[in-house]
Amino acid sequence: MEPKMYAYRCRACGRLFHPARAVCRECGGREFDEVPLEGEGTLLTFTRVYALPEGYMKPWLGFGIVEFPNGVRVSGQMNTEDLAIGTRVRATVGMVKEGVGRDYYGFIFEKSPQA
Amino acid sequence: MRKVGIAGVGHTKFGRAEVSLVDMLALAALEALDDAGIKTTEGHGVDQVFVASMGAGLLNRQSSVASALVDTLNLQPAMAETVENGPASGASAVKLGYMAIASGMCDVVLVVGGELMRVVTGWEATDFVATMLHPDAEYAYGLTLPAFAGMFTRLYMDKYGVTEKDLARVAVKNHEHAMHNPVAHIQLVPSFHAIIEDEDAHVINPYVAEPLRVYDVCPVSDGAAALVLCAMELADRFPKRPVRIAGIGQATDTHVVAERDVPTDLLAVRLAAQRAFAMAGLRPEDIDVAELHDAFTILEIAISEEAGLFPRGEGHLAARRGETRVGGRIPINTSGGLKAKGHPLGATGVSQIVELVRQLRGEAGGRQVEGARHGLAVNFGGFGNNVVTTIVSREE
Amino acid sequence: MIVDKLEQSLRPPETAMPPYPPKYITLASGEKMVVHQAGREDVPRLLEAIRPLITVEKDFYDIVAARFYAELLGYQRYRVKDEYVLVGTIDGVIVGVVNGRMVDDKVGMSYHTVAIKRGLRIGAQLFAAKMEYHMDYLGQQEVLIVAESPIGYRRWMIEYELESRPSTWHELGGVPTHVLTKALWEKHKPMKCTGRRPVPEEMLEAAKKLILPSEYPQIPGFKR
Repeated sequence: MEPKMYAYRCRACGRLFHPARAVCRECGGREFDEVPLEGEGTLLTFTRVYALPEGYMKPWLGFGIVEFPNGVRVSGQMNTEDLAIGTRVRATVGMVKEGVGRDYYGFIFEKSPQA
Repeated sequence: MRKVGIAGVGHTKFGRAEVSLVDMLALAALEALDDAGIKTTEGHGVDQVFVASMGAGLLNRQSSVASALVDTLNLQPAMAETVENGPASGASAVKLGYMAIASGMCDVVLVVGGELMRVVTGWEATDFVATMLHPDAEYAYGLTLPAFAGMFTRLYMDKYGVTEKDLARVAVKNHEHAMHNPVAHIQLVPSFHAIIEDEDAHVINPYVAEPLRVYDVCPVSDGAAALVLCAMELADRFPKRPVRIAGIGQATDTHVVAERDVPTDLLAVRLAAQRAFAMAGLRPEDIDVAELHDAFTILEIAISEEAGLFPRGEGHLAARRGETRVGGRIPINTSGGLKAKGHPLGATGVSQIVELVRQLRGEAGGRQVEGARHGLAVNFGGFGNNVVTTIVSREE
Repeated sequence: MIVDKLEQSLRPPETAMPPYPPKYITLASGEKMVVHQAGREDVPRLLEAIRPLITVEKDFYDIVAARFYAELLGYQRYRVKDEYVLVGTIDGVIVGVVNGRMVDDKVGMSYHTVAIKRGLRIGAQLFAAKMEYHMDYLGQQEVLIVAESPIGYRRWMIEYELESRPSTWHELGGVPTHVLTKALWEKHKPMKCTGRRPVPEEMLEAAKKLILPSEYPQIPGFKR
């Protein structure tokens, strides 16, 4: 099955969050529904990191913070060069870290074909 | 509530320690106890010991460090706890010491912060520090504190016109201050021209997390710092007039950095500072000297604004004008800051206050701020999700 | 001097190698580090410079220094074919050394990198100068490299994205070999290799003095 990423919608007030949380920041609600978090978004800021932590056998990795049209903001890896604040990007889901006994999946953004 | 003061300070040379964690903590503690005239024999009078350490368990595979320290210092039967609050552990321990005395439960409290980090490689240390980020939404991506600092810097540059040269200016200033601080880790002043203007700059000062370069980031250091806190009403027991803890403020912000409403705001810094100023009955313009958590050069600029020392977006302009160096209007990081003095996580919040006490006592040598009366420290945990601000004042 | 016949038969044939043209780099401290090629006559001083590090276990200085020491003797006394040594100096004081050799006109063999002064990325600069020598002056196609410390692995294998080629054995004892290819060099050179030529005459004269370091950050309290 394709790994998916989700936002979490408060059942009481409808506000969306990512990642999941115990209590809604808006209304104090405690129950949430999973909503797929995908598609295009806007790059708010980004960096390329050369001093990677233990466990990465690469010279550098790109990271960014992206805002989806539904207002949810997330951090992710950037799989593309030539970025600027405001660049349209498209969310993909991929392996962001190889772990022992478990691999980690998350957002890997690429430049939107329309960008 | 009783008033609380600082009767003694101690500080090891930051850098690489050749001793164990507890022995390093003991060195700082003994210096502080000696400074306060406390003899480590029966009847020593120390009611409580707080030890701040973020990594004892993960880096040094040791727990209950405070109990071990009390034993080696011969301070039984004092109460003892270890405090972990990320890179703000140090100031948190000072806050707890304050509360213990203000409440009337204790008269004298020893607070020691320390970290033995150079037992691992730099990239293992980076990984360890990143464990305070959100495990799924941040840490699993390979995101680290330098990564968030880089993204924050880009926004700050975009919004306020901060340049790489402004950042380098902060770095050079703090390295210059550190040359007058014998306990600072780095005893070398980078050349502004060499690290930012020279045609070799891109190679000798490469990017770590764009747009931050090597010289925008603090080193990995071992070190410990200690304070003896006392009830001000007992001031006459101590050889030096205690410096008073006038205000403490702490605040938290979203754990996940991406969820902040305004990504260039450090809300927890602002709230923590407001609380500390309100408690002290002081205003930012009363501050004579400040130790701000410059793990990255951009943070000195942003924190100086959030704490109210400069208008929003103008911290870098003040630095350009030289207002933040010793001799300027409001000297920042006279100790060299995390940037040049070093940043042994658990020690940092305590070390900042050690510097302020030395400044207020007039013991700061070549980096002395003349006539300093009120000092401000900001100790920053997470990427700003748990911040402790402390104001200390000299009482005549 | 006539070298006797037995000695002559022990020595490897020598290939004419274009010399490494000296350069200087401005370090973060503002100091200028000169990188120039050392000759056989310089070896005794370089041995002195390296010897204290032979006992430093931290960061594998002991292995690297001991092997470098032997390689310097091998070079000085004609026991290694086509070896070279580059030395970094600041105001004439030795701050680091690198060495390697030419296997044939296409392939280079990187030996060791020792940074004596630390905190100024001297090791990284000297390693880059060594690769520059192989690629840009000896005109080679690839350089075989191994790392003996985690720092080395991080700096060379990961940062230069070196090609893993364990099937080719490296002369330093069969540690998994990594290769800097011409393409990788061209890709990484702009951000890794710098410096200016020619070196002003006075600066070069100072560099050739090869003054022994008076302190070693790896050895607290060192006294010569």
